Amino acid sequence: MRKKARFHSLKKIKVRQDWSRWTLYNLSRLKPPNLASKTYFQQKWTAKSDTRAYHGEQVREKQWKRMFRRNLPAVVSMNYQYLARYDGSEQAAGRGAGADTTPGKDNRPENPPRTPYMQMAYYPLERRLDTAIFRALFSSSVRQARQFVVHGLVKVNGKKMVYPGYMLNPGDMFQVEPESVMFATGAPKHQSGRARRTERSLAQKRAEEREGKILKSMAPTKVPLLAEEAAAAPPDAKSDAPPTEKELKKNLQSLMEEADAALAEDVGAKDKQKLRDFRKAVRKALSLWRSSSTTTTLATLEQQLSFLKSQFASKNPSPPSLSTSGADPSPTTPSPDSETSLSPEQQTKLAAAFKRLKEEAEYTFKWGKRDPTKPYATPWRPRDYMSAFAFIPRYLEVNQKVCAAVYLRHPVARPGLAEVPTPFGYETGQLAFNWYLKRR
Amino acid sequence: MPPRLHANSVPASIIPCPSVRSQSAQTFRQCREFSQSSCRRETLRRREMYAWLNGPGAALKNPLPGSTNYLGAYDKYGNLWRARPGWTPKKLDEEKEETKEEPKSDEEKDASSEGQEPADELEMSVRRDEERKQKSVAKAEKDDELPPERLEDLRPFPLNKYFRSQSVLSEELREAIYQRVVNEGASVSLASVEFGVSNERVGAVVRLKQLEKQYIAEGKTLAVPYAKAVLEMVPKTPYIDPKLPENKGKRPVQHESINDLIVHPATRQQLFVPVSESREFTRVDAGKAFDNNLLPADERIPHPELVTAERELAAGLSFAERTRLAQQRLQKENERKQKIEAKKQEELKKLRTVPGRRWDFVFQDISVENAGKDGRNDKGVGWRYGLPHEDRKKGQVKIPTKVEA
Repeated sequence: MRKKARFHSLKKIKVRQDWSRWTLYNLSRLKPPNLASKTYFQQKWTAKSDTRAYHGEQVREKQWKRMFRRNLPAVVSMNYQYLARYDGSEQAAGRGAGADTTPGKDNRPENPPRTPYMQMAYYPLERRLDTAIFRALFSSSVRQARQFVVHGLVKVNGKKMVYPGYMLNPGDMFQVEPESVMFATGAPKHQSGRARRTERSLAQKRAEEREGKILKSMAPTKVPLLAEEAAAAPPDAKSDAPPTEKELKKNLQSLMEEADAALAEDVGAKDKQKLRDFRKAVRKALSLWRSSSTTTTLATLEQQLSFLKSQFASKNPSPPSLSTSGADPSPTTPSPDSETSLSPEQQTKLAAAFKRLKEEAEYTFKWGKRDPTKPYATPWRPRDYMSAFAFIPRYLEVNQKVCAAVYLRHPVARPGLAEVPTPFGYETGQLAFNWYLKRR
Repeated sequence: MPPRLHANSVPASIIPCPSVRSQSAQTFRQCREFSQSSCRRETLRRREMYAWLNGPGAALKNPLPGSTNYLGAYDKYGNLWRARPGWTPKKLDEEKEETKEEPKSDEEKDASSEGQEPADELEMSVRRDEERKQKSVAKAEKDDELPPERLEDLRPFPLNKYFRSQSVLSEELREAIYQRVVNEGASVSLASVEFGVSNERVGAVVRLKQLEKQYIAEGKTLAVPYAKAVLEMVPKTPYIDPKLPENKGKRPVQHESINDLIVHPATRQQLFVPVSESREFTRVDAGKAFDNNLLPADERIPHPELVTAERELAAGLSFAERTRLAQQRLQKENERKQKIEAKKQEELKKLRTVPGRRWDFVFQDISVENAGKDGRNDKGVGWRYGLPHEDRKKGQVKIPTKVEA
């Protein structure tokens, strides 16, 4: 038996339905076919083999031939105002083809762009469930989509569907398991042994740094405490009496609340970033307070906050004074003391800001951290080269949050636009269509 | 079998294979010892691929923040067509800037702008204006901002001029459509006209939103980071909230054309119909000429009510008269719907349901005649003597053709 050709070949340029770097490179190398040196049969053959390598490569040729339709669907967008004002008889005026008019008059376009019917040759394949899943950006390749279907991760209209060849009907809703979608479209967990090794070494370095920090912060605390016991040494330069642990914690918490309140206001992105960094620092200090006295860090933190505050006090002249914390579970009802100074407009703004902050906090809590149990790299990020392939055709309506989509209608051609995503030019499509017309 | 000759042991002059002779010493080392063939060409191709991926293709690896990132937006050196010469993405290093300085060839630019269609030009310009305003409000001081995409920049496949990435509904627009239909009780066609979104899409958005709310209520995990990332990568139709003071007097952005007329197969042929000169040959007549059952375009588009309303306006009817007519039509429509609903209820009543322990038994009237003459009609029920089932035969497709919602 002949050896099977490489799926991603660099020698023979075949574009496949996936998001790999091979496909991207081949797409960038794809040239319009050289028709001058070939017979008509050869032209058709190469066009067919190139397009079939992309469209429904997982479908057997005989199956596809049965699916092929020579009637290609198209639509024309109508202007309802034109339909209401004219009954169509003006198009039969003159000698039967409409009276001579200057183009561009009475709402009619000069020459409408042609409808690219020939780019629609493979439209029946877009009805297949596996292809639709790929087009909805739920998987990184059609073969992966097919695997999802076969493994029972896909539902059509709420019922499990295990046939990748199921032809979707207009109005069908299909859902894919969100975890699988995130696995398919997310960056892989470990690319190679080397990446794993570097990651491990980085983590080790970070851990060492953390330990070093703790040790460093431990070292100076011992001295003032001893000094306090001796009671003869002069007080600290920053604070006249070293505060007790409880006071420290209280201070830190109030700082945290202030930062949260400042975050809730409508501030610029840069300020927000700074504030968030600041809040992180405070939280770290809060977690460390038991192990060491954080007088120095506290002082610097206070300074930082006052600086930040003054910064955006100068930017927006009258920021509303707040004393509520960001983690307030009832965001729509601001605390009573702030109610007096806020107009209703400001209140709605405040509520929106609270909501946003809450969502952000929830998001970072849920998705911002590493999770070794997941099959993809955490925190989640899109896989490489995904953005070059990320488009959603109009015949699908997708809700990404629940990883569900509705197949609205069959793909159509309209003047100047064909809805079947195909990487090939018009001539190639035409030749491929002609191949399947069976008059060779 | 003739004895095998090893390439190393035999002097090069007696080996006829040209591939071995032409190899340089360096490539010899790359090959395995026992390999007689060269792997030079293969590695060259692969090297070229990685050179491209690390050079011009490097910009495609990660999404461009706040923009789409398609292959059609770049020239062959990996520079964005629409970017100013000095522009660099934030993530890339300074070494990229050298290639950015190269002047763009005007020929290619002209060629790429050919495929634009004038119909969508207006919508795109509106959308672009909107985006530009939003961006200028947000970051007025930033001058290294990337200009918004042109139509050519939305081509994921540079060779195919007839395909581009079309915009999807933004998250806010979906929510607004859901609120309008579910909470405020607007009909689907009304919401479709208001938001400039086709009828089917309005229905789909509502259905998907309901599913989303159900997921949230059940405490299921939503794919939030995925949704965020995808909506960053694709072009979006923004929602213009009419309630906000800054949006006063703005019209909503049209997402798609809502009055699409399907090209009927009967109209594909060219027809020569002799008609007397005095006759007024309208769209209705043209439809009949093609096919006896073909309705005129006014009635086949998804929103015929818009045509009716416009016609009344053109006829010069007063506002009161028009509202009266509209109410009449609404009433008629409601009556029709009620009739359909009543019929459905009637049919449901005919079914006799016997509740069981796990399943309900539903009885419905069946006619023997349904099986048809050859007894193989879909509607025929039950086992018919002497008629074996065909479902185990070769070539019988078991894939369901529809799934009830």
